[in-house]
Amino acid sequence: MLATDAILDRTTAGPGGAVSGRAAGSAAGTLTGAGAAAPVVLERARGRAEIAFKLSAGATRVDRLFQEGQAKIRLPRGEPGDPPTAVVINTAGGVTGGDRLDIAASWGPGTAATVTGQAAERIYRSSGGAGTIHNRLSVGAGATAEWLPQETILFDRSRLARRLEVDLAADARCLIVESVFFGRGAMGERVTDGALSDHWRLRRDGRLVLAESFRAGGDTTALFAGRATGAGAIAFATLLYAAPDADRHLDRLRGLVDDDAREPTVEAGTSAFDGFLVARLLSPSPQALRRDLVRILEAFRGRPMPRPWSC
Amino acid sequence: MPANGTAIGMADGGIRAASSEDAPVGGAVDVAATAPDGTSRAASAGLLDLMVWLSPAFPVGGFTYSHGLEWAIEDGSVATAADLEAWLADVLRHGAGRNDAILFAAAWRAAAGSDVATLAEIVELAAALQPTRERRLEASQQGAAFVKAVTDAWPHDAMAALVATLQARFGTVPWTYAVAVATASAAHGIALSDALPATLQAFAANVISAGVRAIPLGQTDGLRILRRLGPVIAEVAVEGLAAGLDDLGGAAVRADIASMKHETQYTRLFRS
Repeated sequence: MLATDAILDRTTAGPGGAVSGRAAGSAAGTLTGAGAAAPVVLERARGRAEIAFKLSAGATRVDRLFQEGQAKIRLPRGEPGDPPTAVVINTAGGVTGGDRLDIAASWGPGTAATVTGQAAERIYRSSGGAGTIHNRLSVGAGATAEWLPQETILFDRSRLARRLEVDLAADARCLIVESVFFGRGAMGERVTDGALSDHWRLRRDGRLVLAESFRAGGDTTALFAGRATGAGAIAFATLLYAAPDADRHLDRLRGLVDDDAREPTVEAGTSAFDGFLVARLLSPSPQALRRDLVRILEAFRGRPMPRPWSC
Repeated sequence: MPANGTAIGMADGGIRAASSEDAPVGGAVDVAATAPDGTSRAASAGLLDLMVWLSPAFPVGGFTYSHGLEWAIEDGSVATAADLEAWLADVLRHGAGRNDAILFAAAWRAAAGSDVATLAEIVELAAALQPTRERRLEASQQGAAFVKAVTDAWPHDAMAALVATLQARFGTVPWTYAVAVATASAAHGIALSDALPATLQAFAANVISAGVRAIPLGQTDGLRILRRLGPVIAEVAVEGLAAGLDDLGGAAVRADIASMKHETQYTRLFRS
């Protein structure tokens, strides 16, 4: 929270004058938990940020960093020896209809780095049209990439169209996690009208090898009541690990997912095929899903989650 | 076969493509010949082919796949005829049914227009969309077996040309079942508005058949479910005709998880 406030202040003082009112509104919404009822702000947020990593003297360094509008990237100092972590920040404090965010990250040959998000991405009520988020990852030969954004929270009457395009070298490794909450559960919110389309397209050596398309619209509470959809779940996550030997990690991931320490309300499955490891999780409790995801990810990666996850 | 009988009924019932571009391109049959009662010989021949291709007896091994249903039965999510109907309605509306309908329509149009570049993209996308190991197996084994059986037993220039071009592009073409049926239907001049709902219904009939055996249910229960899902199949087919590839996507997350869990299910009758 403190970190976010500092960033909002900085943005307000910066050249993007139109941002201030919007950022204040979003911050207020976050504090009171009434985000879905935040006043409609007509300015459209635009943000574009790009980061590229390269190998230099055996260590991964930032090769290029570009940011404009409401998208920022910060590079907090990490533990010595750990791969660098880049933190993507949406200074608008959320996404609403007509907003557009473009984030790109590229991992040069042999690099290892993590990209995460400063906070949950909140998708607020749209007065018309969808917010658009377009993420592009490019993972070079022998590189190890982690794309670990925090959860996306859709509030009632929000609209989001998101794309994730991933280009993998044949021997690249890439861990991707995305979780989506339809409301925050514990606060009794019900998303009776929402729209999400989330398209992932992963190419290996230029060939489309994995496509994931998640699509929910209308009364999502009713949609996810079905036993083949969610059986009452409102929180969903997909974990994807691409690697030439991904299949070899299946038993380990399956063991973590089915571990006795798992959250009782979380249902999950895992599969492996064609150099991919996939796990899906769902729960009626966003908090339980997040705890389980953190437990699984920390064990799978053998490292604690990036710091913003615990702020 | 119930699937085929109803498929013809549904075609009569008015699932019609929005534009004339969805009319068949005409295969080897005489398109102009029309009987006094209005039945064209070409349309009848196409429907007869389609009925054979979608029959459970067609050698694609459909009876060995449950699309994750076997786990849902094990898990207790599907225990009755009503449960099976609800499960399958969700899979049709929010899972593989709707995605297959969209891919089917797009593949049919590309194949009918001899747009092999677009068809190749759809072939690749449909394969990439299969979310688990067993769903990949289910879609790809049936797709490849379907293309082999149709090209072996129904030699046809338009289909042979499409298959040869795709083979030159991919080596081994990553066929999936819905895209394979769409491609053959277009090449053979079978109307999209017939082939799409009939294929969806064959998929539904196959999952019901798995349910009838694994729950178990009576044959009549299975037939009733198929009849009651008729409007859902029609609705999904219409949506598939109108939608584009950007409209792909689903929310049948528990059906995906069921397929994943099926991989380690202790006693299994089915391959998916």
